[in-house]
Amino acid sequence: MASVKLQDLRKTFGSVEIIRGIDLDIADGEFVVFVGPSGCGKSTLLRLIAGLEPITHGELTIGDRVVNDVPASARGVAMVFQSYALYPHLTVRENMGFGLKVRKVARAEREKAVSKAAALLKLEALLDRYPRQLSGGQRQRVAIGRAIVANPSVFLFDEPLSNLDAELRVHMRSEIASLHQRVATTMIYVTHDQVEAMTLADRIVVLKDGRVEQVGAPQELYERPANIFVAQFIGSPKMNILKADTAAALSPGGSLPLSATQCGVRPEHLRVGSAAQPGLPGTVVMAEYAGAETLLHIQLENGDTCLALHRDGPPPRVQSAVTLTAEPGRTYAFDADGVAVHTSS
Amino acid sequence: MTSSLSHRSGAQARAPWLTLQRRDAIEGWLFVSPTLLGFLIFFLGPLIAIFIYAMSDWNFLSGEATFVGLTNFEDALLENPDFWHVLRNSAVFALGLVPLNVALALFLAVALSRPFRGVIIFRTIFFAPVITSAIAWAIVWKFMLQGEGGPINQMLALIGITGPNWLREPNWAMAAVIVTRVIKMVGLNMILYIAALQAIPRDYDEAAGLEGASRWQIFRLITWPLLGPTTLVIVVLTTIGSFKVFDHIYQMTGGGPENGTLVLAFYIYQQGFQFFDIGYASALAIIMFVIVTILTLIQVSLRRKDDA
Repeated sequence: MASVKLQDLRKTFGSVEIIRGIDLDIADGEFVVFVGPSGCGKSTLLRLIAGLEPITHGELTIGDRVVNDVPASARGVAMVFQSYALYPHLTVRENMGFGLKVRKVARAEREKAVSKAAALLKLEALLDRYPRQLSGGQRQRVAIGRAIVANPSVFLFDEPLSNLDAELRVHMRSEIASLHQRVATTMIYVTHDQVEAMTLADRIVVLKDGRVEQVGAPQELYERPANIFVAQFIGSPKMNILKADTAAALSPGGSLPLSATQCGVRPEHLRVGSAAQPGLPGTVVMAEYAGAETLLHIQLENGDTCLALHRDGPPPRVQSAVTLTAEPGRTYAFDADGVAVHTSS
Repeated sequence: MTSSLSHRSGAQARAPWLTLQRRDAIEGWLFVSPTLLGFLIFFLGPLIAIFIYAMSDWNFLSGEATFVGLTNFEDALLENPDFWHVLRNSAVFALGLVPLNVALALFLAVALSRPFRGVIIFRTIFFAPVITSAIAWAIVWKFMLQGEGGPINQMLALIGITGPNWLREPNWAMAAVIVTRVIKMVGLNMILYIAALQAIPRDYDEAAGLEGASRWQIFRLITWPLLGPTTLVIVVLTTIGSFKVFDHIYQMTGGGPENGTLVLAFYIYQQGFQFFDIGYASALAIIMFVIVTILTLIQVSLRRKDDA
């Protein structure tokens, strides 16, 4: 196990700066998720930590060693690739023991380590199969098993679930979470899926354009987003951002700070009432029924569209007039630059 | 009106001859017919003719042909010692050319598969001989390899080495022909290997590197096995090509010195078009076909055993 420290880490490809000065402390045994939209630099950051890309500027420390110039194989990290990168001509057993083989570990010791990892991931029955004979989820487990056999100080996961179907993704997510509990090793996980980030992470690092937008526990990011980008990226459906002058109608009795120009409210925190009730008036223009809830698209009088999750009772019909009110304490204020001012009523 | 109705119902009861399935089949045959016709006239026809000629004693000049059964095959395999000498030469040529060609192609491909400044120029340089006329290539090399005053020997003289008369000495002629043939054809295999190398996901290299594998270990344990199918294709094609080599021998040595470079394809040419013994030449061609087929099957089965 080891801590990981990034100090002003930068990465440039040609004249393009992809990672623009990242400072981050990852504690020993922590599960940290890098999340952000495509092209935000999260995979590049992971590759810098892995040693698969040279660092342009800054300092990377793993444990108590600065590893900028340490080759990937000597950093004590193991990586699970998005493609799994299982060698197709080797069996599961050979794939999992490959790292030990090239490090000239004795066969008996190798077998022991592979068996132990296979037992941990319930792969014993698959050890003599080739990757082509495995399902997506099994391949994923083999890739994780290979990383476990390496006995690393830090596990790195590069979007490991993105090739799986929705159901398997949920299953594997829980397997990775339970794996972290069992091995208690530092894990850094890259995803663009905020649900994955929320469910797995001790802390989430939200990245945008090569910079950190916010670092915090999932609940902290959900409840106290630092800016509009984080507010909209964390949570699904994304947060509504409305003009500040709608706040009074939306949240009677509450008020936004003077510097606030925009008001945020999550769809799940909006209550939809009849047109006669007090609140922000609007018209339902679309309703997406999803069983337990219905996502309503409501057009406000100023032309903005607002999303609201309706859970209790039959949803209002399309084209019907409604009013919206926010649950107390669930509106967010942002200034003209999109930075959170502070939460209000 | 009544008769018209009954006529229509009768037509409905009978299925039309030109069903959708038949129409598709006819269209399909029409599409493949040009190729099929070409195959029948230019490939299957001559192939059958070779079998017929091989069982005939046919003098090309007199035009007389007699059915002799398997006599031509017996002549080649049991009575004519030249055949076994020629076959030995072909085997030496193949055993020299195939490993050298494959190894050099792989080396060049590994060196030129990653992008760097000027990589296209290097690839072009090594591929250009492939599209050069074989005869022109052989003429140039014949000049280069001249004993006295040949550019190769002149260069060797600069470092104090007296070069042999490459194409006139039995010990050197075969080696010289093999090497010049390899240089001419290596570009084709290089391109095949480059395509195969570029198709191997980079993740494999990175994963293996992370696990502590050296570059040599990555190549030996990951890259080389993954190149297996390509290597099989290359070895099979190069082996077939080496048994069919004619133009080089024709131009550079004419089968000499002392029949030292007389290989099967050139021997077939000699028998058919210099001695006009078409029957015997055809029998030799069939024997060559069988040998190449057997070699190919052996290589394929070895590869399957590797995969299993």
